[in-house]
Amino acid sequence: MSGRPRATNSNKPSGNMIRDSALGLVPETLDHYMGFNRKIWECGPLSPAEIEIARLRNARTVNCVFCKSVRYDIAKADGLDEDKVEMIQDGFRESGLTEREKLIVAFTDQFLNDPGGLAPQLKAELLAEFTSEALVHLSLVVAHFSGFSRCAVSLGGMPDELPIMEVSVPQ
Amino acid sequence: MGWVSAEDDRDATIGVAAELAAPFAALYESLWTQPHIPADVLELCRLRLAQLHQCAVELQRHDAVIPAEKAECLAGWAVNPIFSPAEGACLAFTEVYAIDTQALTDQHADAVKHHFGDSGLVLLVEALGILDGMTRLSLLWQLGANANQAQASGSSQ
Repeated sequence: MSGRPRATNSNKPSGNMIRDSALGLVPETLDHYMGFNRKIWECGPLSPAEIEIARLRNARTVNCVFCKSVRYDIAKADGLDEDKVEMIQDGFRESGLTEREKLIVAFTDQFLNDPGGLAPQLKAELLAEFTSEALVHLSLVVAHFSGFSRCAVSLGGMPDELPIMEVSVPQ
Repeated sequence: MGWVSAEDDRDATIGVAAELAAPFAALYESLWTQPHIPADVLELCRLRLAQLHQCAVELQRHDAVIPAEKAECLAGWAVNPIFSPAEGACLAFTEVYAIDTQALTDQHADAVKHHFGDSGLVLLVEALGILDGMTRLSLLWQLGANANQAQASGSSQ
């Protein structure tokens, strides 16, 4: 992974961390990107804490240092604390996560590792727990944050590690 | 028909999450109308992702028009002179992105920037994130390989 940023936004800083990032070089997609990101957090049947579980599981697998270090304030307010974050690791099946939360992690792993190989048992468990709307929301959450993490990795400039940072959903 | 809903194609399945469908469609559409990477180059990258993921349903989809000869020869782009150096730079980037994003090098990025600038590189990685995600979802949702035939005329020309 490159420590050198591969694209630089030299526009005047706006104070918005997304607009001031390299993504700001493509304004034609940026507003749509940020608008969809807000809807992901605010407009689906999954709770912010559930979204954050999927986001952090993805960040860990894709190994995006930025994404791993971030905690969204609305997920913390929804009850996601660091004890629970610690459970989103290998061995999560034996952790204190609820069965619903374990299914969110399992779905995320399936998307990342073997999207074409969903086993009948996991499919049945997902259908028993989630509505169709919730499954589509979860799907879009995982796809969105996977893309975001891979974008950050692809653009380089990633430090080896960062402290945990609490952020709000960018407006 | 997939298993997450009663719908039988990708766009209709996303529509099950009613409040997310329109903003996602706007984002997806913006990929094909921006000025940084031509839509036909992006379509080559999307199809290459589908090939690498072995996703029949995404291979049947058409988001932009490309010459049939290029679609047929896409897997061998690296040794085929019908693909331009600019297309080759984006396809090489796409292949490494799909296999191991962390294996992308500064040289891969510089090759894209040589043709499309910093903004082109940013657009490419943003688009690949969305296109890779949609390809994975088509597989995970187990959508039928004929599901996209109805929109084969393309959403953007």
